[in-house]
Amino acid sequence: MTFDPVAYAASALAGPLLLVLAAFGCLLLPLFFKALRGTQGMIALGAVLVVLIFFRQAPPAQLSFFSGALNLSPLSSYLWAFAMGVLALFFALSLAKPPAPEGSEGEYYFLAFMATTGLLVMMAAGDLFTAFIALELLSLPVYALAGIRRSKPGIEAAYKYFMLGAFGSGMTVMGIAVLNALYPSLDFVALKAAAPAGQLALAGFLLVISGFAFKTALVPFHMWVPDAYEGAPTQVSAFMGAAVKAGGVVLLWRVFSLFDGGPIREIFWWLTVITAVFANLAALAQNGLKRLLAYSSIAHAGYIAVAFFGGQRGWEAVLYYLPVYAMATIGAFGVVLILEKDEKGPKIDDLAGLAKTRPWLAAAMAAFMFSLAGVPPLAGFFAKFYAFAGAVAGGYTSLVVIAVIMSAVSIYYYLRVTVVMYMKVPANGGDHPVEAPGLAEAVVFLMAAGVLLAGLFSRPLLALAAEASRWF
Amino acid sequence: MELLTNPLSLSILLPAAAGLAIFAIPRENSGALKGFTLAASLLTFLISLRLWSGFDPGAAAFQFTLDQSWLPSYGINYFLGIDGVSLLMILLTTLLMPISVLASFSYIKENQRAYYACLLFLETGMIGVFAALDLFVFYLFWEAMLIPMYFLIGIWGGPRRIYAALKFFIYTMAGSVLMLAAILWVAAAQHAATGVWTFSIPALYGGALTLQAQFWLFAAFGLAFAVKVPLFPFHTWLPDAHVEAPTAGSVLLAGVLLKMGVYGYLRLAVPLFPQAAVTFAPWLAGLGVIGIIYGSLVAWSQHDMKKMVAYSSVAHLGIVMLGIMSFEPAAVSGAVLQMVNHGLSTGALFLLVGVLYERRHTRMIEDYGGLAKVMPGFAAVFMIVTLSSIGLPGLNGFIGEVLVLFGSFRVYPWLAGAAVAGVILSAVYMLGMYQQVVFGPLRHTENKILQDLNLREWLYLLPLLALIVLLGVWPNPFLKRTLPAVNNYITLSKQQPAPPPASVRIALDGEESK
Repeated sequence: MTFDPVAYAASALAGPLLLVLAAFGCLLLPLFFKALRGTQGMIALGAVLVVLIFFRQAPPAQLSFFSGALNLSPLSSYLWAFAMGVLALFFALSLAKPPAPEGSEGEYYFLAFMATTGLLVMMAAGDLFTAFIALELLSLPVYALAGIRRSKPGIEAAYKYFMLGAFGSGMTVMGIAVLNALYPSLDFVALKAAAPAGQLALAGFLLVISGFAFKTALVPFHMWVPDAYEGAPTQVSAFMGAAVKAGGVVLLWRVFSLFDGGPIREIFWWLTVITAVFANLAALAQNGLKRLLAYSSIAHAGYIAVAFFGGQRGWEAVLYYLPVYAMATIGAFGVVLILEKDEKGPKIDDLAGLAKTRPWLAAAMAAFMFSLAGVPPLAGFFAKFYAFAGAVAGGYTSLVVIAVIMSAVSIYYYLRVTVVMYMKVPANGGDHPVEAPGLAEAVVFLMAAGVLLAGLFSRPLLALAAEASRWF
Repeated sequence: MELLTNPLSLSILLPAAAGLAIFAIPRENSGALKGFTLAASLLTFLISLRLWSGFDPGAAAFQFTLDQSWLPSYGINYFLGIDGVSLLMILLTTLLMPISVLASFSYIKENQRAYYACLLFLETGMIGVFAALDLFVFYLFWEAMLIPMYFLIGIWGGPRRIYAALKFFIYTMAGSVLMLAAILWVAAAQHAATGVWTFSIPALYGGALTLQAQFWLFAAFGLAFAVKVPLFPFHTWLPDAHVEAPTAGSVLLAGVLLKMGVYGYLRLAVPLFPQAAVTFAPWLAGLGVIGIIYGSLVAWSQHDMKKMVAYSSVAHLGIVMLGIMSFEPAAVSGAVLQMVNHGLSTGALFLLVGVLYERRHTRMIEDYGGLAKVMPGFAAVFMIVTLSSIGLPGLNGFIGEVLVLFGSFRVYPWLAGAAVAGVILSAVYMLGMYQQVVFGPLRHTENKILQDLNLREWLYLLPLLALIVLLGVWPNPFLKRTLPAVNNYITLSKQQPAPPPASVRIALDGEESK
């Protein structure tokens, strides 16, 4: 059978198009058909499953569309499948415990679909400007999602996220303007081939990197993360941790790979170190579970950045890291969702006695914590191992030494969660909800199985990641 | 399929499988839970006996090897195999496990299912560490073992269990993370030199590493192992963990986990980085001797029996370290034997303290006295174990200590001389404790009604007693099996690898590369 790029593109691009269609479907259909009101979640989940059908096998080569703005390759297929998986889990959690107030379900799912469309475009973007547009398409809906409940913490979250995010976008667009003046094309391939320009280009790249680092939450561009994760509906926090961060990582990596050395690498080196050190130290002082997970997400951005220094092997490791991290973090937020009684989520101490009242839930949470801490045999250990292996082989041993020392620090705060669950007697008799939405539990246990097995049996996922990484 | 037919691999997988299967038993059915765990651990012991019977004592190569590709893109294989040292360690593990299970029957009353599952997972981790011949697999088991041990201390431990569990986990993990970086570095250096990714330990022996690189790598590996041994001054987690852990946890901690540190030096740190090892060896031996004297002195001043036994472990492991760091055949064999001896004697001591604690709920020496009158059987067993622990001729402790002291005297005369003082001190505090607990008048009325050892307790103490005597009078079958391994260790430690060509040196930092 011969490969027809046009037919392939038609079916591959049908995925994102369907997402847009589903977005408007969720928003508008219930307005006209009363019977559909309140069923937007089901429509959304169904639509995601339909979209997954269009994610057929990856193309055998890189295909460029829209004069290089969009590149489809096994890499984009891998990332898209990852994004759709996260979206499906996000919808499952949203269905289990509706976060949006009565009457706003349409907007909620509309925004989620639009954000994911942005994410997909971002992951396949072939030039800096497309990437920026996609970034905005991703960010704006997520600002709104963070504040969808219109409550005080939600609005605070959305406001902080929006202000800082807009600042980051401003920096990016400023940087792109500078680069546009200096380079004939903003295409990533052309940028890489172009002779390195002087100070002005460096300034332009730094502005772009700062903006992307906001999304990935590298220190010192992380200030929005704890408040946004804490105040946003828990499902949205999970989406931010898993999906938005992945988008940021892909963009940062595109920019990073333009340079083989020089000041940009040095700056990345320092960003990585500061992120790993600061996030882990700050996490030690957290009492809220959602804030803890927020700082943990910053720390993991640091570990992912370590993998950047590993060349080809590093890309492979990043592609393995993203789903593994997403599983642990979505699972942990799922547990938060099951236990939360108010918007800010439970304090760590509220988990006391969970091992008695909900033993399996506690076991799943312990698995997520050990995975995030990188203790074998959980998948998080394998992810860290791969991430650091490339960097060591590339000669960045000192970076890895700092990262492993900081992950030893992180043990303390992850263990604290298990200590509270298993070894502390609850102050209030442990009034954990006995009944939990089945769908949320299903997500949590699916993720727990994932972090238990994806490490010991990492060969298939690693092989996919390796294949995808070749197309970068 | 070889995963299940190879007895080594089977003895690793079986406990883990049993640990998962135990969740099929209803949590209230305590009898079935105990019986199932005991059966699984006994079965594992029987499988490990197959290792003993099929082991060729004269062969220098690793035996029962299994080499299956696992993560080919990194050259990581599920590579197992044993020599004489790992054989003894595995047998010690599989022997102590059913004993620990039996000793837990009446002590553990809550959450039994999770408790026995933790014990079984722990066994998988322990055997895995001793069987692994791939650095990655080794590290995996080494760290994975922390999780069940952490829960054993933290959930079923004494009053300060949370502090002890956290300290145990964080100390060990903090010591080990640099080893992870070092493992990656070794593999990367090998890849740079040969173009092949491999984590196979035998393949990495004799790798071309500069002296400076060896120095840092040995430091990283050595730190991880020093925490585990524990060498003075990295020992502070040990008294807390030992005292707070339930009896079975203390037995396994002292009997097996501490040996992993020594085993790490024997299998990895010294043979992989022989030139650096020569530099470090006198210091490590010196720390071992400081541990002997310091551990003995601190043990002497203890009122809590469990704490005393815990500190005596620091002293005993100090002797072992002195032995393996002298690179003398007699001393290294003695040290290996002493590892087994310590597992048996200290394991038995913790069991005996557990027997008393279950009856009186106190471990203070002052709360006892005159037990010979009410518990004659206990007093007799306690006597034999105490004498074995202080190295009385005719019991197991003697041979090991003498071999270590004789062997190391030729290399470190002053250190060996100081170590003798520690051996004498151990007699002082152990016999002192024995006298206060067993002899004298029955001062406390509560002690008058204490029951002597029951059948179950005899059942788990007798195998240990038998081995204590057997190793004392006839250690040759054990020593014979360790000899090829010991010789390999000494040969590897003496080798002088050729300096690597300049082109394959990996810089220590990004700036220096290329």
